[in-house]
Amino acid sequence: MAFCKSINRIWNQFFFTGFSGASLGLLRMYIGIGLLFFHTYQFATVLTLNPIGAMYYFVEPICYFKLLGIQYHIPALSFVMYIILMYATVLMIAGKNTRTSILVIILCIFYLKGVRDSFSGDVHHRYIIPMQILFLFLLSKCGEVHSRDARQRHIHEGIQEWEASWPIKTMQLYVALFYIWSVIAKVRVSGWVWFAGEGRIQEVLIKRSVRWGVTDQGEVVKNGLSFELAQHPDLIQFFGILVLAFELGFPLLLLIKSVKLRLAFILGVTAFHISTFVLMDVNFLLIPFVYLIFFDLVPIHQWLKSRAWPLFRRGPSIAG
Amino acid sequence: MSKRTITLILIVYLTIIWGAVIFRIDYFPLTWVPMYSVYEPSETISTSIKDKAAIKKGFRVTHRDGSISYVSYKDLNMPKPNFGRLYSAIIFGHDPPKHKQGNTSLGSINRWIRGLDDHERNFSVDWEWRMFWTINKTLRFEPGDPKFITRIESSHQKRVYKKADLLKGETRKVEIQTNTVVIDWQDQWVERWNHGLL
Repeated sequence: MAFCKSINRIWNQFFFTGFSGASLGLLRMYIGIGLLFFHTYQFATVLTLNPIGAMYYFVEPICYFKLLGIQYHIPALSFVMYIILMYATVLMIAGKNTRTSILVIILCIFYLKGVRDSFSGDVHHRYIIPMQILFLFLLSKCGEVHSRDARQRHIHEGIQEWEASWPIKTMQLYVALFYIWSVIAKVRVSGWVWFAGEGRIQEVLIKRSVRWGVTDQGEVVKNGLSFELAQHPDLIQFFGILVLAFELGFPLLLLIKSVKLRLAFILGVTAFHISTFVLMDVNFLLIPFVYLIFFDLVPIHQWLKSRAWPLFRRGPSIAG
Repeated sequence: MSKRTITLILIVYLTIIWGAVIFRIDYFPLTWVPMYSVYEPSETISTSIKDKAAIKKGFRVTHRDGSISYVSYKDLNMPKPNFGRLYSAIIFGHDPPKHKQGNTSLGSINRWIRGLDDHERNFSVDWEWRMFWTINKTLRFEPGDPKFITRIESSHQKRVYKKADLLKGETRKVEIQTNTVVIDWQDQWVERWNHGLL
């Protein structure tokens, strides 16, 4: 009985405290701004196609396309879906018809991601975290603060701490688990050798450095730093342990109260993703925008409003 | 929604996302995060040589009437990187990375759940049939048409290095391998034609 009470207390403490309605509303806005860039980056290849060109029959439709009987690509539809996606994202940022906008975003991502990944059966995982965040926004009351919905419907009472906290805390937990799961997957599939100095990291470094060929002088055309690094298994071993420590240690971030420490951790993770992109061509480059979930955005927004925003509003002076 | 309802939603949510990890479910938006998890030690490192001109030209195809032409990514109206994968991997029968990850080290429980025998693959795709389906359907050729494609050819080169050489900084010891594949339409596939991939 005492154990159940203790679990209950920890559960409530974790999921139902820590954030205000304003934090949730601002998070919706800033994540929405990040998504505008993310969508464009993710679907750029689909947008290069001829909208009135051939309708391509997928070689390996994604699982839900198979279920829905979608076998081919209608290029013009992808352009329409992209425009709807961007419009719905703007509405989400503004908090206009918030829940409907988020639902439309989710549906558009399902469609466009399905198209992109069905061309050659190469399924990417870059939308998984943003999709979980959108799903939790959809269930939450994020449209009731810092939104046009709140102004139009005259919602003044705001939302309670527990209502604002659980979606943000669940997002945080999901991201932390995502990194833990990636360790579990590596160990399950390849064993601890994955993290060894002469393991997977070294292999990817070499592969990605020689993929563009070598010059007549025997130097790699691109990614020379990756090639150089691959020659130092001891250093790679160190990085392997670092990757393991940071992925296993990610949940600790949920316990850190100090904003500075949290910021330092997140900067480290961001540096990790930038390095893996530069050295290994692992394309999770834009994903760090979701780490906004680990911060209370109210003071940051206040700072932007009072310090940074006036700089933009001042406008250029007219010479003469 | 009350706190109690949210608690129930969270329990269901956590159960589902953990279930996906335990049972290695990798269907968007669920995942067990298998990206880059597969490491199979090898003494050689091979990389495809990107032949832009060949990719631009596309597959060499033979039609039922005996004529020969080329099918490019522009004809199929598909992104160039995806076409590159069809051109240098799929037609050679090489699975996409997610299939490889899904097939590697599948434990006994996950095999049992999926009804797989010891050496049976979780993902198994008849890529040859898929290639004919995709290209002919996109170009609107039916099996009875004289322009129906009955042969698809692809050729690409790979650089094969010994890992030990590369680790000594030696990049000049390289073997260039030319891989060529020719796949032919099989008449028994006509039965599948109307069902497509579903």
